[in-house]
Amino acid sequence: MRIVGDVLSELFGMFVADARLTLAVLCLVAVVAGLVGTIKLGPLLAGGILLFGCLAIIVEAVAREARARGQR
Amino acid sequence: MDTIAWSVAAPAIGSTFLASLVEAVEAFTIVLAVATLRGWRPAAFGAAAGLGALALLVILLGPLLDQVPLHLLQFVIGVLLLLFGMGWLRKAILRAAAIIPLHDEDAIFASETAQLAGVTDRRHKSLDWIAAMPAFKAVLLEGLEIVFIVIAVGAGRGLLWPACGGALAACLMVLAIGVAIRQPLAKVPENTLKFGVGVMLSSFGVFWTGEGLGIPWPGQDLALAFFVLMFLAVGVATASVLRRPVVEVLR
Repeated sequence: MRIVGDVLSELFGMFVADARLTLAVLCLVAVVAGLVGTIKLGPLLAGGILLFGCLAIIVEAVAREARARGQR
Repeated sequence: MDTIAWSVAAPAIGSTFLASLVEAVEAFTIVLAVATLRGWRPAAFGAAAGLGALALLVILLGPLLDQVPLHLLQFVIGVLLLLFGMGWLRKAILRAAAIIPLHDEDAIFASETAQLAGVTDRRHKSLDWIAAMPAFKAVLLEGLEIVFIVIAVGAGRGLLWPACGGALAACLMVLAIGVAIRQPLAKVPENTLKFGVGVMLSSFGVFWTGEGLGIPWPGQDLALAFFVLMFLAVGVATASVLRRPVVEVLR
């Protein structure tokens, strides 16, 4: 049964390497989906929010990790 | 295949090839450790069993993909690709900035060999299957990532076969070189590959998620190239800004 646990843990780790990054991406997607669904946001603006939101999230995640490791 | 199809097919094949190269190198290091200590038989047995388990998973779960509506499939895969790709990219940027140490295949090989030697000393009986287990697990767990990338990159636009081809080519290449030199493939620029794959998977993630949400991308498939450039530029710039002296990382 340990192999099943290892597989599940591998699968979890594939998508949740950094919990805050995962949460931020999911929130961003939810916000864009909400904006597209409710106020019919234009494709360029919705796509821009998605792309630049992801870029901002990756920079924040790396900078946060760098800060945390710098403090140790 | 026309020009537009190649603009998506080429990144799909390239992504699966490079990602599979990284994963295959990692799996091969452990299989080689098993082979070095216990011989090629348990190593090959474990690796073959791992491949068999992966094939079973694909055969069982693969047909389910046809049951999912295309937009939903693109959305779910897009979000998963974003999470997976950005996770890889984050780690690759941290390594490129020397904030965390690089992946060291030689060190992993040494550690795996030491662990196996410990097991061998404790249990002289039923050695073959005990020795085969790490090879089985390595192939299964690293292979899971390859399967996910192939499905994620290929399923959204009917590119499963080209994506499979890219992955298979990488695995065969690692196997051929590995068997020929019989050493860990430590000289593969793993972090550069991971950086590139992270950039491509994140770009595919934005693309599929947008398509899944019904966003018609300006320039259609060519928008993917713009996303790749943006992720690459931001990743390289972040790594340069945060770069630390190597001595500090090794401390």
